[in-house]
Amino acid sequence: MAQLPRRRFVLELAAFLPLPFIARRLHNRAVADLDPRQLRALASAILPGDLGPDGVNRVVTAFERWLSGYREGAELVHGYGTGELRHTGPSPALRWSAQLRELDASARKQGHSFEQLGLDDRQALVRSALEGQRGTGLPPVDRAPHLAIGLLAFFYGSPEATDLCYQARIGSNGCRPLADSPQRPLPLARRS
Amino acid sequence: MRRVIESDVCIIGSGISAAMVAERLAEETTASLTVVEAGDDSDPLAQRPALRRRFLDYGESPWRNDHLDGYEVAGIQSRSMQVGGLAMHWGGVTPRFSPEDFRQQSLYGVGTDWPISYEDLDSWYQEAEVRLGVAGEQGPPELDPRGRPFPLEPLPLTYNLLRLREWTTQCAIPMWSQPSAKNSVPYRGRPACCRNDSCTPVCPIGAKYSPDFTWNALRRANRVRLLPRTVVRRLERDGTGNRISRAVAVSRDGGPDLEFRARTFVVAGGYVWSSHLLLLSGLANSSGLVGKYLTGHRNVSGFVSLPLRLYPGMNGQHSLVSKKFMRVPRGEHYLRHDLRVWESAVGREPRLRDEQGKLLLGDELLADWRRRAATGTARVRAYYDVVPDRESGLTLDAAKRNAWGDPLPALSFRDAPESAAARGWSEEQIRKLFGEMARAGGGEVLSTRSDSFQDHPAGGCRMGNDPATSVTDAWGRTHDHENLFVAGAPTCVSGGCANATLTFCALALRSAAEIGKAFPKQ
Repeated sequence: MAQLPRRRFVLELAAFLPLPFIARRLHNRAVADLDPRQLRALASAILPGDLGPDGVNRVVTAFERWLSGYREGAELVHGYGTGELRHTGPSPALRWSAQLRELDASARKQGHSFEQLGLDDRQALVRSALEGQRGTGLPPVDRAPHLAIGLLAFFYGSPEATDLCYQARIGSNGCRPLADSPQRPLPLARRS
Repeated sequence: MRRVIESDVCIIGSGISAAMVAERLAEETTASLTVVEAGDDSDPLAQRPALRRRFLDYGESPWRNDHLDGYEVAGIQSRSMQVGGLAMHWGGVTPRFSPEDFRQQSLYGVGTDWPISYEDLDSWYQEAEVRLGVAGEQGPPELDPRGRPFPLEPLPLTYNLLRLREWTTQCAIPMWSQPSAKNSVPYRGRPACCRNDSCTPVCPIGAKYSPDFTWNALRRANRVRLLPRTVVRRLERDGTGNRISRAVAVSRDGGPDLEFRARTFVVAGGYVWSSHLLLLSGLANSSGLVGKYLTGHRNVSGFVSLPLRLYPGMNGQHSLVSKKFMRVPRGEHYLRHDLRVWESAVGREPRLRDEQGKLLLGDELLADWRRRAATGTARVRAYYDVVPDRESGLTLDAAKRNAWGDPLPALSFRDAPESAAARGWSEEQIRKLFGEMARAGGGEVLSTRSDSFQDHPAGGCRMGNDPATSVTDAWGRTHDHENLFVAGAPTCVSGGCANATLTFCALALRSAAEIGKAFPKQ
């Protein structure tokens, strides 16, 4: 009860702050709430083993950087032949941080933290969490309804994932010599 | 109280056609040039890698402040108003129209002949290709005639496009490297393309031509005075004559109204804002055709699954092109179209669930992707030409006004009855072609679609020899006002069946040559 006046005070104060400022603060807090160890435990359960521990860590670090850099309400590229302007939606960080906590809470019902579970058990918890999710394709990262799908969409949308799939150094969206165009991409070096 | 700015030539708009006019006049004449642009300057090249990164990571627009708020107009239009215009976003694809595009009525009894022929425009195409830096491959000369070679070697075909060309050869369709305003070698101080593959919406290194390069050079040399953030509201005549004496404008930053005085005025605001300004001004419209005959082309596109190992992402925005279907064989129903083929990953994307609906995690997802990516997909598309209806047009929308109280335009594209009647049949023929191609390659058509809008729009101030049936003459000079020109896209009689920007540039350069005759040579 003692907290109620303080909460009211905070809410009243917030009414005087611009919405983007509040949204940014909430986003930053949610990003900070994502436990790095739990996130890596999730990633190693859903990303391909071909990445290895270093690869998983690299992907998660890039994902954390991506999430940290997300801006609500940024103007999206406008399509050719349309006058419609579209903007990025709310930060996904708020729902994702809650979902990571829920995975951990589910794991603790089994007596362990999420990161302490074995691969199969972590995958089982993810499958359970995604049970209600429909849709075959991977959505745009920021619109992923669950953190696990967001992480998958982030990785599988990357040039690294394309190279891994095709086992070739395609290097999409990177600066590559024009003269190499006619050559079949070189094979991907095998991970030792 | 107005602030008066005087020059020999006042160009309204700063898109690619305006850039061509200004560059040519600056090189060939001593005329002083003022350019008035409603939009802002774009971010400089040095900032584009970072802006592109935001685009790749988040889908954010790399072109900040590239449009005016409050300019939500009715009808299809691409949203861009900035120094450099829509060509700041373009893909840099630069095919020429075919000779048949200029003589549809004479050859096929369809539409309207242009007052100029392909041969008349050939040297202007060439000049535009030199100015933009077009890298191109000569197609079969009977399909792809040109007076001189391309200024730059073609962009080399990727491994994927080479495999796909083997397929189209099996289909007996000659295809070659799509001409593009992208440097195949360093050119005019800009580097060679290195396949960053984000040409649309932004090239991070400046290998693709965009009009800001021309404006930067002209501004550095003090050859133009370019005023961004300045909205021209009206062109006005002198007392009783038919000459235009001034353009009245407002600065978006406030301050006194502006009055631009010049000997010659060039309206270069693209297919929307050129007609819009003339209608607002009540000028050049004795034919009643300002804003009429908006034109473009329609398309059918599709994805074809092929038993080929392709590697999507090698240079996905580059394509093969063919002009084989731009000529109607004698005695056959009228249908003219181009054909383009790209690499694609459609149908082979990574996915969350397999056919049985099973959620794929870990190694399963990658294995599923690898299995489906073992063969390839081609993206195919045909632009087919459309005869524009007279009422395919732009009007002033009394219900929507800008910040200064001027009505905004409303656009409504309409096919002429003969094109409207043939639309279903035309699209069916193209889908059949895709099906035949798929079968020849041992594959199948995954999907097809037709866009509802006309692409690469143009028209609104069509050129012609008869002042009763056209707005400008063959040089872009308005029939009604001897010192008022319209440059580029608005003057097109028809939209052809290929990307039209190079044609806009060639027409603009031809106009510039005519404008330049009134001024001393350099």
